[in-house]
Amino acid sequence: MLAPSILFLGMFTYFPMVSVVWDSLFSNGGLGKAPEFVGLENYWKLAQDDVFIKTFVNNIIYAVGTIVPSIILALLFALLLRSSSRFNSIVRSILFFPTLIPLVAAAGLWIFIFLPSIGLLDFYLAKLGARSVNWLGDPDIALYALMVLTVWKNAGYFMLFFLAGLQGIPEDSLEAALLEGASPWQRLRYVILPLLKPTTSFVLVIAFIFSITQVDHLIVLTEGGPANSTNLLLYYIFQNAHEFNNTATAAAATVISLVLLLSVSIFNIRILERGTHYES
Amino acid sequence: MKNILKKPMIATALAMGLLGVVSGAEAQTKIDFYFPAGVQGPVARNMQELVSQFNESQDEIEVVAAYTGNYTQTKTKAQAAIAAGAPPALALMSANLTLELVLDEQIVSIEGLLEAENQDRDTFLSDFWPALHKNAIVNDTLYAIPFQNSTPLLYINAEHFREVGLDPENPPSTWDELLDAAQKLTQRDGDEVTRYGIVLPQSSSYLSWVFQAFVMANGGDFFNADTGAEVYFDSAETTDALTFYRALAYEHNVMPQSITDSKQVSTFFISGKASMMILSTGAMGFVRDNAPFDYQVGFVPGNVRNAVPIGGGSVVIFKGQEPEKLAAAWTFAKWLTDAPQLGFWSRATGYFAPRQSSYEIEEMQEFLAENPDASTAVQQLPYAQPWLATYKTIAVRTALEDELQQVIAGQKTVEEGLADAQAKAEEILQPYVDTLQ
Amino acid sequence: MNRKPHIFSMLAMTLLCVVAFLWAAPFLWMFVASIRPEGFGGLRMASIWPDFSPTLDNFALAFKSANFALYYFNTFLMAAGILLVQMVTIMLAGYAFARLEFPFKNTIFYAFLIQLMLVPPILIVPNLSTLVMLHLNDSLLGVMAPYFASAFGVFLMRQSFKSIPKDFEDAAIIDGCSWYQLIWYVLLPLSRPTLVAFAIVSVVFHWNEFLWPLMVITSPEKQVLTVGLASFTLGAEGASEWGLIAAGTVLVSAPLLIVFVAFQRQFVNSFVSSGIK
Repeated sequence: MLAPSILFLGMFTYFPMVSVVWDSLFSNGGLGKAPEFVGLENYWKLAQDDVFIKTFVNNIIYAVGTIVPSIILALLFALLLRSSSRFNSIVRSILFFPTLIPLVAAAGLWIFIFLPSIGLLDFYLAKLGARSVNWLGDPDIALYALMVLTVWKNAGYFMLFFLAGLQGIPEDSLEAALLEGASPWQRLRYVILPLLKPTTSFVLVIAFIFSITQVDHLIVLTEGGPANSTNLLLYYIFQNAHEFNNTATAAAATVISLVLLLSVSIFNIRILERGTHYES
Repeated sequence: MKNILKKPMIATALAMGLLGVVSGAEAQTKIDFYFPAGVQGPVARNMQELVSQFNESQDEIEVVAAYTGNYTQTKTKAQAAIAAGAPPALALMSANLTLELVLDEQIVSIEGLLEAENQDRDTFLSDFWPALHKNAIVNDTLYAIPFQNSTPLLYINAEHFREVGLDPENPPSTWDELLDAAQKLTQRDGDEVTRYGIVLPQSSSYLSWVFQAFVMANGGDFFNADTGAEVYFDSAETTDALTFYRALAYEHNVMPQSITDSKQVSTFFISGKASMMILSTGAMGFVRDNAPFDYQVGFVPGNVRNAVPIGGGSVVIFKGQEPEKLAAAWTFAKWLTDAPQLGFWSRATGYFAPRQSSYEIEEMQEFLAENPDASTAVQQLPYAQPWLATYKTIAVRTALEDELQQVIAGQKTVEEGLADAQAKAEEILQPYVDTLQ
Repeated sequence: MNRKPHIFSMLAMTLLCVVAFLWAAPFLWMFVASIRPEGFGGLRMASIWPDFSPTLDNFALAFKSANFALYYFNTFLMAAGILLVQMVTIMLAGYAFARLEFPFKNTIFYAFLIQLMLVPPILIVPNLSTLVMLHLNDSLLGVMAPYFASAFGVFLMRQSFKSIPKDFEDAAIIDGCSWYQLIWYVLLPLSRPTLVAFAIVSVVFHWNEFLWPLMVITSPEKQVLTVGLASFTLGAEGASEWGLIAAGTVLVSAPLLIVFVAFQRQFVNSFVSSGIK
């Protein structure tokens, strides 16, 4: 029964994992030369490549700066919108809309939103008396501008998971807390949050994966610029593999992001597993 | 031969049979043609129109035109298709990528195709503007046919010029005049700039192209156009050019102190948020259709000389396809780069036509009479030089642009940025330099 | 319990209205810009107030610029194809992990979960060469194949099957059901909410995916919506035809938005009761 899954996992997950590790030990071919075995040299070069280091740091900032706010917002939305009144279901839909459109399409809209002076954001900010800002053109701001887009895109999605998680909380434990005179904050802190732990770690895993594997908006909005200030790991890999013809570097960078994804996520999955065992 | 001639009946039958088989089994050769839209406007629609015109004109070949984004993405897509063993028949490629396509052994020599038809290269090329030749020739062999070409141009808002007492008929032609005009045109509200004197495109590819114009205007060489193995990013001419460029934003405050991509640049200009911009000739069609005001175009201002890089795209034909597809690709390439088609394309987009004979066609002359600005690019051609083309052009260009952006955004000094750009570029070029020795 | 909750809920309502408006603003602009005459509205083009007589010119232009009908068809084919195969693989594997005992079960389960992180885009380089080896490059099947197995789906189905009391199955087995009858007649109907929720996630994800199909598909006749749309937004070197971009975005996003609005309640309900927690 596992055979079909294992077949496809083998072809498109395990085999590529091994092959990319293998490729990362060879040099680039080209100019009439075949790739040669170079050991860990590609990794050594990465460690010295300031673009890679910048990209790596950017990705950490981007991950923290998108995961934390979107999870907090998602939880907040879910708590406020858990009962299904007409008003709530409309608001829920609106918050969920961004999830339904492609990231490239969202990015296309946000090019215009971020346009200095004339764009949606500056046009209305100017009415409030604010100065025009070149959101994507200032290396100090651009990454944060992208993070806003990402939070807008994902918070509604994560909200759905929290709504599902809240549904799973037995009414009697909430009532019991109420009877004991717990304030809303106490209920949240001591009853709801602990019971939402599995949901939270699940959402964390997904949000983390998103922060590393989704770069469509970079392609449309910034191409990693200005001056690599918005470059992220996967886009760096994409550029090296497909634009610079630098497959050796791309392979080594892929291995590094694999290790990153696996280590952080395995840690989370353990929490998740524990959570679900506890439930059943 | 003799035998067949002796038996005409059989020969005819045989020939007809063969023809029947040929036309029955493969009525048409279907070929893929990748094209980018380097500039704004209905480029994709015009290209589809051109291609369907070709498809309807004959029965043997069906060209499927695939719109592949910008120049870099077109290269990426072609690269992926080649790696997958299914290259497109032909593509419209950024003119400065010919060298590396040849080094990677991905395109066929146009010269070979010409020779097979007993044409010689120099006769074929003689109709194309001389400035275009170098970016199409590698190792003294022709590999690409220029299709849409451009140079950077200075666009000015004539109404703003008149408003501040400048003469729009005489756009700034030197750096001093440019700075002077930009200062007069800039409007401020307190210390906030509400209208910029000038905006320059600073997104990838565009940035280095326009910057090359500044360097060359300053007397610099930028790169070794003969080998593609050397760049001169830290030369005195380059340093001075970047110092002037940067001062526009920081010392004189007539240009934004952040990175403006080409979409922002043209949007700024069209909406009156900026009074001058330097963009491709290819953007002229868009400006003509959308500017709600009087505009003028002029040469890119010179400093010690007038000089601009050539830009645009050329048709290249890929290796590794079946003979009949190759033949079809060649037939289509010849048609596409014929004078009337190049003329049509020039009128539709704003690019200048690479063939001189396109300008002798009546429609073209009428068009120029109505739109005198369209001839500015052609008048600027005597000052045009090859575009940055090296081994791994995109990587070299990106290394430079990363540093330029840091300088423009105020994160590095001019000298630091250019020294780093030079070092990175040399590292990328090293494997190629090694093969030359 | 007196007035405090009331003030609190009023506050929450206001806050939610503001947030909802901010969240909706890009969409409002998209719709307004897509029906604004002349693609370029000058300095006022950011206005989301429709102070003009609407036009469908931008849509006409979008249809002229790209073969949307074909893109819809390809995208639908791709998303549906992936989902169908996934349904089979995740049900089988989910059942195995939930009910059967076999050596190294936990290890294998963890090995499955690896795929949760290693989505094809991150392995884009080796996966493309695998597709070339299998002669699946430039085909929709090539876009779909890496997704045929789904760790996420297996995980969900395992949870869902586990929550079904074993008595149901025992009864069915006593009645002489084979394992596939058991899955089809007993377990499947009981885990419908999970399947629906998974289907939603899967379709939304694949409908919207960009980088992977961008790299796999080269022929124009096999292109999908996202890639077609990106060529509008990316092609521009000069200013953008914002009206055209907005219209294209509406066309690409509309199907999922419409389906969602129509089935909002069922959509959320199945999610909420799916056991995704």
